[in-house]
Amino acid sequence: MKTLRTIPAYLWAVICVLLIPATFIGNDGFAKQLAKLPFMKINPIYSGGEVARIIQDSTLKISINKPVFAALIGESSKGFVQIKFEGDSLLPEIISREIDFDNDGVQDFKLAINTKTNNTQFEVLNKKDVIDLGVSTMVNDYWIVRVEVRNPGK
Amino acid sequence: MEKTPTFTTEKSIWKSTLLLIPMTLLTFIFITGGNPNFSSVSNIVAFLITFLFLNYLFFMILYTGKTDRYRAAGFIAMSLFFALVFIVNLIKARGSMSFNDGTLLSCEIPFCHIVTTMIIIPIVFTQSIIFPGSILEGFASIGSMLVIVIGVSLALGRGFCSWGCFYGGWDDGASRILKKPKIRKINPVFRWASFAVLILVALGAAMTLSPTYCDWLCPFKTVTEYEKVTSFTILLKTIVFVSLFAGLVIILPILTKKRIQCATFCPMGALCALTNKVNVYDLRIDKEKCTNCMKCVKACPTMSLDKIDVENGKPSITCMKCGKCIDACSTNAINYHLKGTQVNKNLTWARMLFLFPAFTLLVIFTGGTMQQGIVLLIQLFTTGSLF
Repeated sequence: MKTLRTIPAYLWAVICVLLIPATFIGNDGFAKQLAKLPFMKINPIYSGGEVARIIQDSTLKISINKPVFAALIGESSKGFVQIKFEGDSLLPEIISREIDFDNDGVQDFKLAINTKTNNTQFEVLNKKDVIDLGVSTMVNDYWIVRVEVRNPGK
Repeated sequence: MEKTPTFTTEKSIWKSTLLLIPMTLLTFIFITGGNPNFSSVSNIVAFLITFLFLNYLFFMILYTGKTDRYRAAGFIAMSLFFALVFIVNLIKARGSMSFNDGTLLSCEIPFCHIVTTMIIIPIVFTQSIIFPGSILEGFASIGSMLVIVIGVSLALGRGFCSWGCFYGGWDDGASRILKKPKIRKINPVFRWASFAVLILVALGAAMTLSPTYCDWLCPFKTVTEYEKVTSFTILLKTIVFVSLFAGLVIILPILTKKRIQCATFCPMGALCALTNKVNVYDLRIDKEKCTNCMKCVKACPTMSLDKIDVENGKPSITCMKCGKCIDACSTNAINYHLKGTQVNKNLTWARMLFLFPAFTLLVIFTGGTMQQGIVLLIQLFTTGSLF
């Protein structure tokens, strides 16, 4: 009985001796395999959610994401919508747009961003859906705005 | 009394040298990444210092039979060099140690192993990870760090906290500054405090869908990165984490000679303690050799040993396998042990089978950062600038 318990103990210990170097040498491969698991994605609170539609005009590409109402279970009553502004090469000094984030034909808010001074002016046009400006900041070569919105289903 | 072990490396230069050879090879592979960079004198000097330092430590562990004394030297070096290299690289990349909304929105925050404690419940309910990092891209991606956490926990259990955690060396180092503690009596019940922190931060993270410990409590933001102070709330967070660093990582470890942050406040430590249950390595006290002098109880930096544990012949699951109790024991009654084997047999084999993976982990985490750190220090002395 003692031998029966001793053999797996030594075997497991030898495996552990190999497991540490293997964890690091094979890290890239193991990480790629791990990344295939369904939960290996960033929560939309951080990623900003999926892109709902893209508006392209002469100077700007505007990506409007689906509103995020993240909660541990179900949806929260308040969330945010993320808008990304990308220039053809550089962002223009002034970005001024009215946005209909839910594509219902009603403009929801108005943004006036000065990309040089980092100043953002925000005006709510649809008080039923929109609460306030959350974040407005330069990220790498583009500008991201998060606007706090109400969950129409709650 | 059972027969004492016949195979030992202690005081044997030949046996110690022979067992050092595989570690020398591993050290070379891991600190060069298999691709040595000897393009400059500072790189060669940094490589040689790191290579010789780590091999000297392992040789001394084998030759003297002392574990903690030499482990701690490497472990403290790892934490100090990690902080230096991390901060310098951060300032080079971002211009400061602070991150802002832009960094958060671009999901560029390096994933630290402690975050693991906060993502588990949200993964179950939301099938996603509540951290502004990258799954595979960039430095310390989530995928890469989770592989390390899983691999190391399976292999070493809470040994991770004494051999691989790049923060632990701070309070380990602070706990060694004074020769004798100023605060002697600490109720061992505090060793369970980290489990309370684990439960609180895990539930807090689940309720708020944010890594609460990173947001509010992590003392090590002081020596890595922190949120740029742009509001009163962020100022409050900054005061909290700097105070926790000063109190738990520096002042209390100096006064108590215990690793207070690791033992009482680190949620990752508590999670790793749970993995000690499924881990093959532990420490055992040979009751026939034990004289109940309680030197091990006094020495244990995590309060994982008390009188009852000594009577039971093993430390509690909070043991970090640092080996300080082994070094403190004057009758050699405490040893590394493989679960399922006899307590007082094949002691050197059990010790070697633990030391090889544990020291390899130390080499992997120390090697690269120590080399980079030495290059930076040479640059500082020769040019007057780290950047």
